[in-house]
Amino acid sequence: MLSIIVCIKQVPDTQKAVFDPKTGAIDRKSTDNIMNPDDLHALEMALSIRDRYGARVTAITMGPPQADDVLSEAYALGADECVLVSDPRFAGSDSLITTRVLSRAILRLGAFDLVITGCEAIDGNTAHVGYQLSEFLSMPLITQIHEFMIDGNHAIIERLYGHEYQKIRVSLPLLLSMGKNSNRVRIPRLVDIKECGEKPISLMTLNDIGGEPGEYGAAGSPTVVIKTEIFSHTRGRAVLEGGIEEKVDAIVHMLKKQNILRF
Amino acid sequence: MDLSLSKSQLMIRKNMRKFASEVLDEWAGVLDRDSTPLPADVVREMGRLNIWGIQAPAEIGGAGLDTVSYSIVIEEISRVSAAVGLGVTVHNSVCLAPLLAFGTPEQIARYGPDLATGKKIGGFTVTEPQAGSDASSIQTRAVPDGDHYVLNGQKAFVTNGGVGDLFLVAASVDPAKKSKGIAIFIVEKSMEGFEVGKIEDMMGMRGNMVSELFFSNVIIPRENVLGRPEDGFRISMKTLDIGRIGIASQALGIGTAAYEAAATYAMERKQFDRPIGTFQAVSFMLADMKTHLDASRLLIYRAADLKDRGMPYSTESAMCKLYASSTAMQVCMQALQIFGGYGYVKDLPVERFFRDAKITEIYEGTSEVMKIIIGNDIIREFNRF
Repeated sequence: MLSIIVCIKQVPDTQKAVFDPKTGAIDRKSTDNIMNPDDLHALEMALSIRDRYGARVTAITMGPPQADDVLSEAYALGADECVLVSDPRFAGSDSLITTRVLSRAILRLGAFDLVITGCEAIDGNTAHVGYQLSEFLSMPLITQIHEFMIDGNHAIIERLYGHEYQKIRVSLPLLLSMGKNSNRVRIPRLVDIKECGEKPISLMTLNDIGGEPGEYGAAGSPTVVIKTEIFSHTRGRAVLEGGIEEKVDAIVHMLKKQNILRF
Repeated sequence: MDLSLSKSQLMIRKNMRKFASEVLDEWAGVLDRDSTPLPADVVREMGRLNIWGIQAPAEIGGAGLDTVSYSIVIEEISRVSAAVGLGVTVHNSVCLAPLLAFGTPEQIARYGPDLATGKKIGGFTVTEPQAGSDASSIQTRAVPDGDHYVLNGQKAFVTNGGVGDLFLVAASVDPAKKSKGIAIFIVEKSMEGFEVGKIEDMMGMRGNMVSELFFSNVIIPRENVLGRPEDGFRISMKTLDIGRIGIASQALGIGTAAYEAAATYAMERKQFDRPIGTFQAVSFMLADMKTHLDASRLLIYRAADLKDRGMPYSTESAMCKLYASSTAMQVCMQALQIFGGYGYVKDLPVERFFRDAKITEIYEGTSEVMKIIIGNDIIREFNRF
């Protein structure tokens, strides 16, 4: 039976969040914590592979103790096992150190065939962890997956990007990263929502994954955030005058000026 | 005192909202326009999600949820399609719930799993052309004959009538005893002499196949009497107590949909160079809507919580139904007013909310019957002479 590990993250719901205009930080009280949307698609991918081929699906998250909420949600959706990687000494880890923690924890979970991550998280939007995991775990990363099939100890994958697609055959184990258009996430049964909070969540700490405290947390992290700014897009309105020729010329001129039309 | 929802209740709300917007939303307008029932594959998917067995135990395929969670499910479904919410709440709270509460182990084993998983859809019927609020005056007769009863008569305004497979039917076994002579029978659509009459062409709730039912010499085995034959009226009244929480939740869902649509529109629609929602005339309307809806929600949760704790909740159930239904009507009226001419045309769902809301003041006991229940309670408490 296949063994699939899905990396998920608890994030503030940035769609609802209010940002401090001075510091750029999220006002944590203004919003709920949710499972990162792309990670839901990663979990759905794992569950649909399990539906077709049979598999054991383990959801893993690194975070503070309250991150177990997203693991409960993973149980509601159908995960077989959930692991929380949590230690106060991990606090302040950047994406590189997060990957170090996750990769060491994953290697201690035993043999696996697939690791699936979301493409990016909506809080940091770095999209680093998937790529970095591929390096840390020394396995290929496949992105932009359109079709996925298992064939013995290989996967046959159709990748779709832009106007072309690519069909590849790649041996397991393998890392997949899933974006928001990759599948439609199932809705959990009410009974599974009711029972998900009672299922056991395994805890892994620094002692379980090994390494020195200095390798983790803010101390181990090379990334320094200098400044956070809020981007805002405002819509404008322009009224074009003149005949149809003049109006078309004006639109083309505007599009070129905005670098939308390039030739 | 903690009035916040539990993690599981919040997760239920989130996922039911997702189901309603992803699956039901595309059907809500169609069901209303064509007066047609939900397609079978959606009914099946709702079965998979435990929506046909919200409070039924997991052993028979239900979700085993508490009553506050039940209310949340009905509210979220009704927020998108009140007609679907109606089918769900009637099936769950006045067919499956009394079966589980008053049925014998054999009856539960025989009918429970199919109902809880939505393989069979259920209904409950007391009302007849001549018997509405005065439930004790029903004319449908069940005459004992050896190991069975022979059922004859007619029922009116039966929710799920056109699509249901199984109905709890109130019939008089002994007319001389009036309400004490009423028994509840488990009647299957497949029984000989059972006939679905006219599907009503209604003002609202058009996606529910509300119909007449006719019984002519239907042979009902004795083991299909729910509870003891003499308990029929008591079972009906208890069943309606549960049902009212569902209808109140449905009214809350309709009102919430109308309020959210109106608030959104009021901030988009500009007149005199500003959003109409920033005019006091409109923002005061929205303030009233929000407050009354929130009060409805709290009354519903209080009744639901009393039920879950095994306390008496008949009066509280009547109060939440009375308040939530009149709030739904009032909120829909104000929402339509905010939409102006656009609220009056069928391109937008506001006029549907308005038509759907009205019936919540009528069925599962009219507002006047709710006041009788509440009034009787007051009379018992204060009339000492």
